[in-house]
Amino acid sequence: MMTDSTGPERQVLRLLPIGEQLASLPGYVVGILFILAATVLCELLQPFLYPLNQLMIYLIVVVLAALNIGLKPTVMVVLLSAFLHNYLYMPPRFSVDLQHKEYLAISAGLLVAGCVISVLVASARNRAEALLVRESETSSLYGLSRDFVAATDRSAVISAVIANIETTLNSQAALFLEQDGRLELTETSSIFTPDKEQEQDAAWSFTNSRTLEHYRPFIGTFCCLPLQTATQKPGVLAVLLTSRSDCSPKQAWRLLKAFASQTALALERVELVRQAELAQTLRSRQRLERALLNSVSHDLRTPLSTITGVLSSILEEGERLSPSAHRELLENARDEADRLNRFVSKLLDMTRIESGAMNLRQEPCDLQDLIGCSLERVERQLLDREVLVTIPPDLPLVPLDMVLMLQVLVNLLDNANKYAPQGTPLEITASIDSGYLQLVVSDHGPGVPEGELEKIFEKFYRVPVPEGAEGTGLGLSICRGIVEAHGGRLRAENRVDSGLSVILCIPFSLNYPDEVAA
Amino acid sequence: MVDTQPIKILAVDDEKAIQRFLRTILESEGFAVQIVDSAAAAQVEAALFKPDLLLLDLGLPDMDGIDLLRLLREWLTVPIIVLSVREREDDKVLALDAGADDYLTKPFGIAELLARIRVALRRRVQAVEPVFTTGELAVDIATRNVTSSGAEVTLTPTEYELLRLLVLHAGKVVTHNMILSQVWGEAGSSQQQVLRVTISNLRYKIEPNPARPRYLVTEPGVGYKLRLVD
Repeated sequence: MMTDSTGPERQVLRLLPIGEQLASLPGYVVGILFILAATVLCELLQPFLYPLNQLMIYLIVVVLAALNIGLKPTVMVVLLSAFLHNYLYMPPRFSVDLQHKEYLAISAGLLVAGCVISVLVASARNRAEALLVRESETSSLYGLSRDFVAATDRSAVISAVIANIETTLNSQAALFLEQDGRLELTETSSIFTPDKEQEQDAAWSFTNSRTLEHYRPFIGTFCCLPLQTATQKPGVLAVLLTSRSDCSPKQAWRLLKAFASQTALALERVELVRQAELAQTLRSRQRLERALLNSVSHDLRTPLSTITGVLSSILEEGERLSPSAHRELLENARDEADRLNRFVSKLLDMTRIESGAMNLRQEPCDLQDLIGCSLERVERQLLDREVLVTIPPDLPLVPLDMVLMLQVLVNLLDNANKYAPQGTPLEITASIDSGYLQLVVSDHGPGVPEGELEKIFEKFYRVPVPEGAEGTGLGLSICRGIVEAHGGRLRAENRVDSGLSVILCIPFSLNYPDEVAA
Repeated sequence: MVDTQPIKILAVDDEKAIQRFLRTILESEGFAVQIVDSAAAAQVEAALFKPDLLLLDLGLPDMDGIDLLRLLREWLTVPIIVLSVREREDDKVLALDAGADDYLTKPFGIAELLARIRVALRRRVQAVEPVFTTGELAVDIATRNVTSSGAEVTLTPTEYELLRLLVLHAGKVVTHNMILSQVWGEAGSSQQQVLRVTISNLRYKIEPNPARPRYLVTEPGVGYKLRLVD
């Protein structure tokens, strides 16, 4: 998060004056070097210049010194220049002449000029430095808030603040956050582990909502800043300002305060976002549960009411019913009981899939056998409907949970059978292509409107069925759950001529030992 | 079935409604029925009542049905049919491996129950016959002669062993584990694949339509069964 901005910010914050190399030497040494240079130059030019003009060379040096080395070294340069010029170049040479009043006046002027320039330069530099500091602070804060904007969760906010403190202050940080009523150390810089005393400092700062500074020689200043917003008090930001820190303590302190308040706000923001998301999922879950409850009560009650009705009418009116009516009623009740049983099984399956309790038992599976079994299961419903099966010869055994996959196929066939008009055939096509098993179950029914091709896999979504053979609205979502548990995909598409194809794709690898018994 | 004594069925189930239903149906079919509601009582009655067949519910108040099944199988040889609401294949395998002859998931139709009872009793009688027949398939255990629709079928030794095992348990599901340990002597995952291939080959030899097997049927997730076709 911070990596792209660390370089420039660190440089800015070092606050190095212009002429970094010169400034690193003590000003007095530089001053003496300046004077030596001026003296050498004067010595070289002596045949061509009057003594008064030679003073101009010293004047240049004084100005240079004033620009670069601060007030006191400049005063030294001025005094030395006046003395040397007088001593070396004013006739008689190698003697100090205090008789010529005008030279003294010029030397005094030199001194004043040097001081004025030096003071002016110093104040200009201070202003520039202050500006730089401001700017560096602004850019540090900007970097932090940019990271915060990008942070979508608590941990991102936490690591952003730690990283920003590490880079801008060159210090180590630790974040203590309140969890279940206790202050817990949540995150630290990689090389920093707060000791007992520091943890106590943090706790004190948290309970009293006050900042705290604790200086320890050779280690640095340990600062604790409570994180606070108008409504929340999430924890404490603790920073160990080491001597390696390049900012002035005042500046560091100012930055830390800004960091602390920004962090508190960012933590509050992600917390609010989290709560909003939670509320959202809760709402949609409630909606789903309501739909589920409605559907379940409908699907359970409808067959039950038929069964109850049939049984009570036989009990009460039994003698008066004709044998055929009697039988018809009972058959009706039995069909409804079957339906109830199927629905309960599906509910159980769905619950198993959703709770993740479905443990897949993948075993080498003969697809022809699988398809044969599925056809046998739906034989009764299919009546005389033809099913065209296309299986390529030499299809390898595919690792599948045969029981679950059988359930998928039976469901798909059952669906196709419900929607396809009488007399039209169903089709099952199996194929293997680049590590994928593809099984397609197609019908010649009306298909599904394009916009609803995905919806049919949703729970309790029902397409109106001709002749009212209504399903549970669970079958296809169970199928999808099973296929996805195999790492595969289940989708539907309309055929070019009318009809629906449900396509099942499951990846597999043929890594069985290929030993076949005779 | 030759003597005049009715066939005795012991049912173990603690649900009053099921008890009533079983008694009504089974007695009207001419069976002598004894019903108990606990594992302890089941063990006593299995010895005293000397049933010809046991119907066992797995959810009992005093012991898990599978454990009871194992205990009974230590000395009891009559067919045991498990009736249970546990519909997972793992439970079926567990019960079959523990010695159950059949497994019927609740709720079931009475026709289904009576058919299973008949098959279990028929197996008991048929086990002594030297030539086993189901539909158009005939297996002579003594001569190792197998014919399908009158034509002789040549099987490999493994195929024959597999078929023989299924014939010995005809009408009953034989679990994968049982087949693997009896025919191959071990139950490794690589053997699973061999089993599938052998079944497929066997079907091509004995089934009129191998894609829709009539005799050698798959019980997905459980095992295979040689279906008794009249």
